[in-house]
Amino acid sequence: MRLLYAISITSLKKYYGKTRGLENASLDVKEGEIYGFVGPNGSGKTTLTRILLGLIHSTSGEAKIFDQDVTKASVLLNRQIGYLPSEAFFFPEMKVKDVFRFFQEMRKVDDSRIVELVKRFDIDMNKTMDQLSFGNKKKVGIVVALLHNPKLLVLDEPTTGLDPLMQQIFLDLLVEEKKKGVTVFLSSHILSEVEKVCDRVALIRDGIIYQVFEMNDIAQLENKKVSLFPSLEGELPDGMTFLKEEDGLSHYSYIGDINSLLKRLSGQTFEKCNIRDASLEEIFIQYYQKEGATNDVL
Amino acid sequence: MMFSSRLFKLEFTRSLKSLITWSLSIGLTMVFVIVLYPMVIDIYSAIPAEYQAFLDAFGGVPHNVVEYYATEGVMMLQLFGGIFAALEGYNALNRDDKEKTVECIYQLPYSRTAILTTKLVKVIVNVLVFSIVVYFMSILSFLVIGESYDGGDFLLFNVYNTIMFLMLAILGFVLVVFMKPTQKSMGAIAFPFVFYIISVISSVTNNETLELLKHVTPFTFANPVDILKLGADFEWISFVVFTGLSILLTVAAYWRFQKREFTV
Repeated sequence: MRLLYAISITSLKKYYGKTRGLENASLDVKEGEIYGFVGPNGSGKTTLTRILLGLIHSTSGEAKIFDQDVTKASVLLNRQIGYLPSEAFFFPEMKVKDVFRFFQEMRKVDDSRIVELVKRFDIDMNKTMDQLSFGNKKKVGIVVALLHNPKLLVLDEPTTGLDPLMQQIFLDLLVEEKKKGVTVFLSSHILSEVEKVCDRVALIRDGIIYQVFEMNDIAQLENKKVSLFPSLEGELPDGMTFLKEEDGLSHYSYIGDINSLLKRLSGQTFEKCNIRDASLEEIFIQYYQKEGATNDVL
Repeated sequence: MMFSSRLFKLEFTRSLKSLITWSLSIGLTMVFVIVLYPMVIDIYSAIPAEYQAFLDAFGGVPHNVVEYYATEGVMMLQLFGGIFAALEGYNALNRDDKEKTVECIYQLPYSRTAILTTKLVKVIVNVLVFSIVVYFMSILSFLVIGESYDGGDFLLFNVYNTIMFLMLAILGFVLVVFMKPTQKSMGAIAFPFVFYIISVISSVTNNETLELLKHVTPFTFANPVDILKLGADFEWISFVVFTGLSILLTVAAYWRFQKREFTV
C-alpha cells in the first residue's frame, strides 16, 4: 500500500528573478509526524512554507499536500491547514476578540476551541492588536492557526517572541496535537525546540536541502563533547577531534563507542573531566561548518 | 464560493470611518456652495463683460441654482470625489500589503477570485454610498434655500457622475494588481487629476486635435455644464471608451491576480 504523505515535495525550485529562493528541494512529511525544517535566516524556509500555502508560486517542481497539488487545490487545502506566519499581523485597530470572531466565522467553527486556547495562552481579548507586543501577537496567531482543528499545521518560526513558559506550553500543545493525528511542519532556526518535539528534521541552507535526519538516529550517533584538564596526551583516539582551548579546558568532540573512550582516558590523570552528549545545535553547527556539504544535496 | 459576506462585513466596517469622513466632507462642501447661492446671485450680474468670455470657458454665468451648482460646486465634487473613488479602489488591495495582513487573509479557504470579488464589491458599495450621501445632502440644500430645480436632470447628472466615480475606483483597484506591493498610493491620487486636467484642456481649447482629448477622459460624459445647463447630447464615445477600458482592465486584473506573489 502506498504511504500517504501529508506533504510531498519533488524537485521544487523557486527563483526571485535571479535570486535563488529554493533549489531542487525534495522532501516527504508523513501523516501524524512533527517534521522540523531547520536553517539559518534567509535559507529558504519561509519560501517553502509560502509555496505550500499557495501564497507564492514555484518556478518548477511539484508540491502536494494530502496528495493534492497546492496550486490547484489551495481552497480545499486551506480548510485543512493551520498556518502561523513568522510575524503574525492582524487588523491593527481591531480587538483580539473581534479578530477571533472573524476567523471563527470565516472558518465556520464554534468558539469552544478558542476559549480553551485563550485560557491556555493567557490572552487578553479586550486589547486591540496594535496594543499587543510581538509575543502576544504571536499567541493570537497560534490561536488563529489552531481554532479550526486543522489536519496539518504549518508553523514558521512559531516560538520567536514567546517567553520560555509560553514556549513550553506551545511545544506541549504540539505534542498533544500529534497524539490526535495532526501533522506538524515546523520551520525554525531554534534547534532546542526542534530537538524537543520533532520526529524528523531537514536541514536547509541557501535554498538547498542538505540532509534529513531521524531524531532517533541523531540520538544514537553517540556524538559526545569532552572537556579535559590537562589536555589529552599523545595521539587522539579514532573519532576524537580537538575543538578549542577555552576557560582553562581542552574541548573535543567524539563520535564512537563510549567504552573505548573511557578506556583511553583512564590511562591519564585529569583534574577536570566532563563528558556529555552533544546538543542538536552543536551537531548541526558542526555539520554546517563542514566543507563540501554542498555536494551532499538530497 | 465567489463572494464572502463575512469578509465583506470586515472590509466595509474597516473602511467605514474613511467613508463617513469623505462623504460628509464633500457633502458639506456641496451644502456650503448651494446655500451661498442666494447671496452670490447678484455678483454675476456685476461681472464686467470682458470677463464673461472667460467665464464661458468654465460654463458661463449661471441662471439658476442648478446651473450655479454645475459651474461652481461640481468641480470640487468631481475632483475630490474622484480622488476618494480612486483611493477607495487602490486601498482595497494595497491595505493588506501595507498592514502585512496578506498572509492572514489569503490563508483562508477562499479562492483569490472570491477575495478579489468581495473587495471589488466593497469598493462599489462604498462609492455608491458616497454618491448617495452627497446627492441627498445637495437636494436638502436646494430645499433649504427654497430654490426650484429640475430633479430629473439633477438625478441624471448624479447617475453619470457616480458611474464615472466607479470607473475611477476600478482603475485604482486594477492599478494595485499590476504594481509592486510596496508602491505608495500617490499614483491613485494623481490619475483623477490627470483626467480632470485633460477634460479642462479639451473644453477650453479651440484646437480640433486637442478637443479630441475629451474622448480619453471619463469626466467628459459626466460634464455638469453639458448635462445641467446646456442640455447637450450624451458623450457616448467617452462613455464607451471608459466602460470598455474598465471591463477590460477588470478581466486583466482577475487574470493577473491569480499569479500575484504575496511576499510581505
